[in-house]
Amino acid sequence: MRSFLSMFAKSPFKPLASHMDKVRACVEQVKPLFDALDKKDYDSVQKISELIVKLEHEADIIKDNIRIHMRQSMFLPVDKKDFMRLLSAQDDIADAVEDLAVLLRIKNLDTPDEIRSSLKELVAHIVETAHMGCDLISELEALLEASFGGAEAEKVEKATQELGTAEWEADRKQFALAKKLFSLGDDLAAADLLLWNEVIKKLGAVADKTEQIGKTLRMFLSQ
Amino acid sequence: MDLDTFLLSFAVIACIYMACNIGANDVANAMGTSVGSKSLTFRQAILIAAVAEFVGAFFVGGEVSNTIRKGMLDPLMFEAVPYHLVYGMISALVAAALWLHIASYLGWPVSTTHSIVGGVVGFGVIAGGMDVINWGKIGMVVLSWVVSPVMGGLFAFLLFKFISKAVFGKRTPLIYAKNLLPYMVFFVFVILTNAMVYKGLKNLHMDLSFTRALVISLMVGALTFIITKYLARKIPYNPSWDLKKQFHETENVFKYLQILTAFYVAFAHGSNDVANAVGPLAAVVAILKDGQVHMNVPMPTWILGLGGGFIVFGLMVWGAKVMATIGEKITELTPSRGFAATFGAATVVLICSKMGLPISTTHTLVGSVIGVGLARGLPTLNLGIIRMIAISWISTIPFTAVISMLCFKIFLVFLP
Repeated sequence: MRSFLSMFAKSPFKPLASHMDKVRACVEQVKPLFDALDKKDYDSVQKISELIVKLEHEADIIKDNIRIHMRQSMFLPVDKKDFMRLLSAQDDIADAVEDLAVLLRIKNLDTPDEIRSSLKELVAHIVETAHMGCDLISELEALLEASFGGAEAEKVEKATQELGTAEWEADRKQFALAKKLFSLGDDLAAADLLLWNEVIKKLGAVADKTEQIGKTLRMFLSQ
Repeated sequence: MDLDTFLLSFAVIACIYMACNIGANDVANAMGTSVGSKSLTFRQAILIAAVAEFVGAFFVGGEVSNTIRKGMLDPLMFEAVPYHLVYGMISALVAAALWLHIASYLGWPVSTTHSIVGGVVGFGVIAGGMDVINWGKIGMVVLSWVVSPVMGGLFAFLLFKFISKAVFGKRTPLIYAKNLLPYMVFFVFVILTNAMVYKGLKNLHMDLSFTRALVISLMVGALTFIITKYLARKIPYNPSWDLKKQFHETENVFKYLQILTAFYVAFAHGSNDVANAVGPLAAVVAILKDGQVHMNVPMPTWILGLGGGFIVFGLMVWGAKVMATIGEKITELTPSRGFAATFGAATVVLICSKMGLPISTTHTLVGSVIGVGLARGLPTLNLGIIRMIAISWISTIPFTAVISMLCFKIFLVFLP
């Protein structure tokens, strides 16, 4: 079949959504990961961390496939560069989660009591923010159906604003936690301090990358 | 067997070969989007195509036939040698059918109309030199390479923009779709009926003036409007459905419109393209009857029936194979998009064929799909295919012209 019907190519939006499903699966492991850490269950930390690395790898395979199949001759309803930027943002979330998983495996970290509750709060908030990003991608199908306009576009626009607020909130929580961490002074070993600082930064990165999804989607709407 | 019987049989066989190829080559164009969007199964599509193509060919097809023969070259230059016109018309048929056969084997979306135009040009040049060809008409064909996709594209773009604003942009798209449905049905039926009764139905001696045709089509439209309005009320709607669910149900509403449009485009195709098979045969029959070249050739009903019948035969036997794979290969098309593209294309084709323009359904569809794409209606389009399409468009006329020349030369060698 190579008649004019060959013009209907396979949509790259579907693999984009499958990629996001993998990213979501990574994000869903973040809370169990920190719970295990909290309980000093280092076997579980190891296991969950390995699972995250595996999921991230699966996401990478989907990403590479999308990149390979994205041809010059493909015509999308959005700017191709924006589309690739969205894919990169999704991938960056998985990367950040993977980095977190690997960091927590470097040594058996002890959670200082002073930061315990703030950390829990930050983790919960980061996971929630990342889920907001995932939910935005699930709206893509409906957004395509509405040709990126009308009531559906307004709905997505509003959700991106909420995502922006959530990211701002994440920054605030991240700052508060960092402040608490560094106020511990000599009570914390230098190596632990260094690692914890990296962990907090990576948690923040998850929210940052998620916000990038909202920004790119807004580019889709404004075309 | 005497010469006349031989020539008549040859012409009939060539016409049948051409008609089969038209059916096999073009059924995917007419029904492809409906099968792709799952509005129809491929069996339903074949059935609808068969009925619509035949009705279009038999009842409206006679209108276009004359322009094919008369427009391209002057038949009166064959007054001294009427049989040369017979050889020529058979050559043109053979060349065009052969090209269609090759093209559908290669999967190239070529125009049946342009194939026959090339065939007529080919023998015309051999018989009377460059001067006998109406180059103005040929220019029109070349112009249609640009005009038909642009017109199809513009029409489909505007129609889809309208649909996405008036239905899919709303908070309750399903309600808007239900309200819009009767108007759309009205519109489709008015155009369809008008195409059928205005200057059509000559075979049934029912050709009407434009005003009377308009009145009749408006009445038919109004009737379908009322029926649809009643039926649309029965489409279930639940206010608790979210947008996604409503979009899904709205697409189901568009399925009805798309099925209607599928009928419409197959009808338009039948009425437009049957001429390419039966036009040359009618010319041959008229000459063999009294040995003279006529300016106005009647279109016997049996010839139209033959053309329509074998288009249906071709689409059922060979076209069905192509159709069976479409449903699996096209997964990204929804009924609303398919409706906008096919309705846009069909309307342009019908208007142009009424004006006697040699326009191609295939070319128009290519344009209308791009039109929907430009209106941000499709998740992706493969534009790489366009270059291949353009090459097959440009090569059609030269190829059929050369084959037709060769056939004509062979005739002249054996039957001077």
